[in-house]
Amino acid sequence: MNKRMSRLALLDIQQGIRSWHTWLLLGVQDIRLRYRRSVIGPFWITLSMAIMIYTMGFLYGKLFKVDLSIYYPYLAAGIITWTLIATTITESVEAFFQSANYILQSKLPYSTYILRIVTRNFIIFLHNLLTLLPILIIFKVKISFLILPLLFFNMALIFICGFCYAYIIAIVGTRYQDVKQIIVSLTQIFFLLTPIMWMPSMLPERFGLFAELNPFYQLINLMRQPLTGHLPEVFTYVYTFSLLATGFIVLFLLLRRTRHRIAFWI
Amino acid sequence: MASISLKNITLDFPVYGVSGRSLKKKLLKLSTVGKINYDDGETVVIKALKNINMDLSSGDRVGLIGPNGAGKSSLLRVLTGVYEPLHGEINVSGKVGSLLSLSLGLEPESSGNENITIHCMVNGMKPAEIENKRPKIAEFAGLGDFLSMPCRTYSSGMRLRLAFAIATAIEPEILILDEVVGVGDSTFLDKAKKRINSIIEKSKIVVLASHDKEIIKSICNKIIVLKDGEIQFTGAVDEGLAFYENSP
Repeated sequence: MNKRMSRLALLDIQQGIRSWHTWLLLGVQDIRLRYRRSVIGPFWITLSMAIMIYTMGFLYGKLFKVDLSIYYPYLAAGIITWTLIATTITESVEAFFQSANYILQSKLPYSTYILRIVTRNFIIFLHNLLTLLPILIIFKVKISFLILPLLFFNMALIFICGFCYAYIIAIVGTRYQDVKQIIVSLTQIFFLLTPIMWMPSMLPERFGLFAELNPFYQLINLMRQPLTGHLPEVFTYVYTFSLLATGFIVLFLLLRRTRHRIAFWI
Repeated sequence: MASISLKNITLDFPVYGVSGRSLKKKLLKLSTVGKINYDDGETVVIKALKNINMDLSSGDRVGLIGPNGAGKSSLLRVLTGVYEPLHGEINVSGKVGSLLSLSLGLEPESSGNENITIHCMVNGMKPAEIENKRPKIAEFAGLGDFLSMPCRTYSSGMRLRLAFAIATAIEPEILILDEVVGVGDSTFLDKAKKRINSIIEKSKIVVLASHDKEIIKSICNKIIVLKDGEIQFTGAVDEGLAFYENSP
């Protein structure tokens, strides 16, 4: 029985990934519907993000007394990546409820609906990346083209990591409905606790570790470092890969136990 | 050859929210081990299906009849693969097309055309195949220009026509329908019957749950009477209907 459940759990992930047509379409359709009646469509995402970053950058740059040419790229890349991670997490709580019409009608692997959420948020992320362009040009940030492949690799890492944890949160969130509130308040707290608006160097030295061990900080570094013309540290990769391995194992164990029950919880 | 075989299927359906499915309860339970004894009666388990045995093969057009809450929809969901029962053996061979509820399937904000694309893909079609089938689906649905309007603007009959057209477009070997056929008007019913008959001609299986005895009489050649999650009768339509009417 256990062996069969393990096989079905792995099959769910495998078949889900293979049905990329479906989740790509579902993800794109979500974005389309959200901006169907607006003139500039998804570029509202870019615009509102730009306004937030440009005003916040000026204010906090002055408050923290950091050179704006360093602070602006740092803040912009940080907020954009944070938004990707945070919205993926908060939206994944309702992943199965949102896809209930498909789940109760046909037999698709559950991972499809998770991939739908992650895809959707990556599309928004790509729109948000545009806000970074003027900043990179105005402040003449030097980015070598060699960094591009690294950027894609890191994006893939975040995608996979996002998939694992979004899936875990989706399962727990479907079973226990209070999880949504917990996740929402936790992400708000972590936005302040994570070096997004502030830099770890601003902390007293004894608190340094507190920033370094924050998983969100390391995930943000995956994008922020290349986007501001630096290489991520080795520690960032070690951390990310252990996060990924942990996520996958937890997901597998959870899926093996609960996959066949998800339809009943909706 | 399409076939369906269920052996001793029992489906336990957990219902939450009767006394809440909150984390607090779980955490309280953890933190107060031994002090407060929460019995496990906090989730109610309903036996939706008990000991279901059935064997269907090509050519069977099965009508599923029974009072509300008899387990008809649960049984259809087991056949579709939505619910996986923990007890018993299930074997379904053949491509399954299902229409389990008309409002659930379609995305209200998406247009008819978008819904065709999405649902065909969810049913396992490739993009090129969908474009091939689109004119046929559009023709059967008979919605004309409405196909480019959002589905929320459709009447329930229009929604049903589109949903039925999509569900049968994949040319299923096994077609599973829940209650929905009754919503359409008589023109649609005729069209639907023709479509169902053409599926039958390809020697396949149709399972249809309905309260409407006329619909069952005109489509099915076999009947299953379900009550309280158990099969009470399997056999010819007339006998089955008589049995159902006479049963308390």
